[in-house]
Amino acid sequence: MMRSGAQAVLTATTAVPRPRWRRMRLGTLAGAALTIAWMAGVYLYMLMPLVVVAGASFSGAAKKEGFYVAHSYVQFPPEHLTLAWYGAIPAAQLEALLLSFGIALGASFLACVMGVPAALGLVRASFPGKAIVSSLFRAPLQIPAVVSGIAFLQLYYAVGDLTDLYINGTFIGLMIGHVFLATPFVIGTVSSILQRFNLRLEEAALTLGASRWGTFRQVTLPVIMPGVYAGALYAFMVSFGDVPVSMFLGGSGFNTYPVELFYSMEGDFSPSSLASATVVMVFSLVMLLAVQRIIGLDNLLRSKGGR
Amino acid sequence: MKARWGLMLLGPFLVSFVLLTSSQYMFLHGSFFADIGYGRLGADLTAGNYLRFFSDPFYLQVLNITILASALAAAFTIVAGFPVAYVIARMRSRWSMVLLAMIVLSSFITIVIKIFGLIIIFQADGSLNRFLLWLGVVQQPVTIIGNMVGVVVGLTYFTLGFSVLLMYGIVQTIPRSLEEAGQIHGASRIGVFRQVVLPLCLPGITIGFLMVFNLCMGAFTSAALLGGGRVLTLPVMIQRTVLMEVKYAMGASLAAVLLVSVLTINLVSLVILRRFRAARLVIA
Repeated sequence: MMRSGAQAVLTATTAVPRPRWRRMRLGTLAGAALTIAWMAGVYLYMLMPLVVVAGASFSGAAKKEGFYVAHSYVQFPPEHLTLAWYGAIPAAQLEALLLSFGIALGASFLACVMGVPAALGLVRASFPGKAIVSSLFRAPLQIPAVVSGIAFLQLYYAVGDLTDLYINGTFIGLMIGHVFLATPFVIGTVSSILQRFNLRLEEAALTLGASRWGTFRQVTLPVIMPGVYAGALYAFMVSFGDVPVSMFLGGSGFNTYPVELFYSMEGDFSPSSLASATVVMVFSLVMLLAVQRIIGLDNLLRSKGGR
Repeated sequence: MKARWGLMLLGPFLVSFVLLTSSQYMFLHGSFFADIGYGRLGADLTAGNYLRFFSDPFYLQVLNITILASALAAAFTIVAGFPVAYVIARMRSRWSMVLLAMIVLSSFITIVIKIFGLIIIFQADGSLNRFLLWLGVVQQPVTIIGNMVGVVVGLTYFTLGFSVLLMYGIVQTIPRSLEEAGQIHGASRIGVFRQVVLPLCLPGITIGFLMVFNLCMGAFTSAALLGGGRVLTLPVMIQRTVLMEVKYAMGASLAAVLLVSVLTINLVSLVILRRFRAARLVIA
């Protein structure tokens, strides 16, 4: 780097100034154009599918040669606008939405119950084998979700064979799988805040006569709260969006929304799925904005998805 | 005080430990039985499923496709994402926050919905094909659904947002002053990027590549929907074997193969990376 830098300085001083300046200007311009095009391309690729789903959900049915063609329903940009698909969301999808919501709410709550003390212990305590304990908590991130799905299904069968209590295809069964998936995210976000935590704040509270519980409640908790909110949000979204685990642990007539949508895309596709998907997108956006309002965008970003 | 923090760990640790070990043990145990139809398992322990996997060219092909598609997708994701992460990290305006928020937003939407949109764009009479036909770039509609290109596109799509956020974090750890020093010494922007930024980010990028590769190896939804049942990756195969063919033991064996190959590939590449880095230090 240094050598080429020196060379560049040499050529800059020996070359005739004007053409060099012009060439640089042109190079910078081309570089800027390339950068902008690259950014635009990546963002278009990332966001276009969302726009297309929302746009196509307002698309009226197109008739081709006298009969409706299933895939020609799905049109973007839409030819006629209609809200009809929003009224035609099948009951199975609404039930699935309700189930997904309940599971995600419960799973994110339980993930916090598990994750906050775990993060406090992992960051604050020092004991032999801490690295192993820490990687055990992170294991659900490393194991492919499909593997977790089949593993929990086998576990439920084994427990069922022993106790006659089969929890696959039940609310509890789904919930356990989702808590397993979601807990590492809460641990991740809370740990990342705790690592920057100034311990003197707690010492000050203790010296000033606060009890340990009082210190925790009035000093520690408020500081880590953004991490808890961010973790709960990630946990909610991980649970709400999961397909593989829910596919194994759910059952016919007891599927979460993404699984229901997955099956509807593989088989009997209806454009009303676009409508329900748009509802979910708006809901996710509102949730993200709400949490962003509470803890601020930089706190949300700093947690880097809890990984 | 110290003892108490350790105690807080006890409850979550026990729950996680029991869930993790019991589920992993049960499925590994289950993979050593024979399927005898209708979801029932044979009584005797056997390694038959694994023997079948490693002697059947079909299964080996599935494993090959999974590794190849994941490696390609991870490479594309890193190449596409790194410049974006770099530009956002070096922006001085509030736009950087907006750009990051857009990525976070898109990563919060269920993958099924996003793949839904991707399919609408890429399907035979979809927006992209109509546009290309109109431009005259293609004569026949081209489709990526149900072929390898589709699977790689789907996996890239699945991991792009995550990898930008990851690499944004990496770029942020590199002080801006180093780049300014390079520029003061007369290096061009591209020169600074190539000779200062890239070498400093390389360790982070390689770890990022491995993380993205892991995600791709385990990705089910995007691979299943864009593979269209014609390109089968290991996660898709596991789902089909268990839920469609009702072969729990074979499915468990496939899952074990997936888990072990992910772990092995990671371990081997980490060892190679360490060797490589050590060797470079000696040369320098």
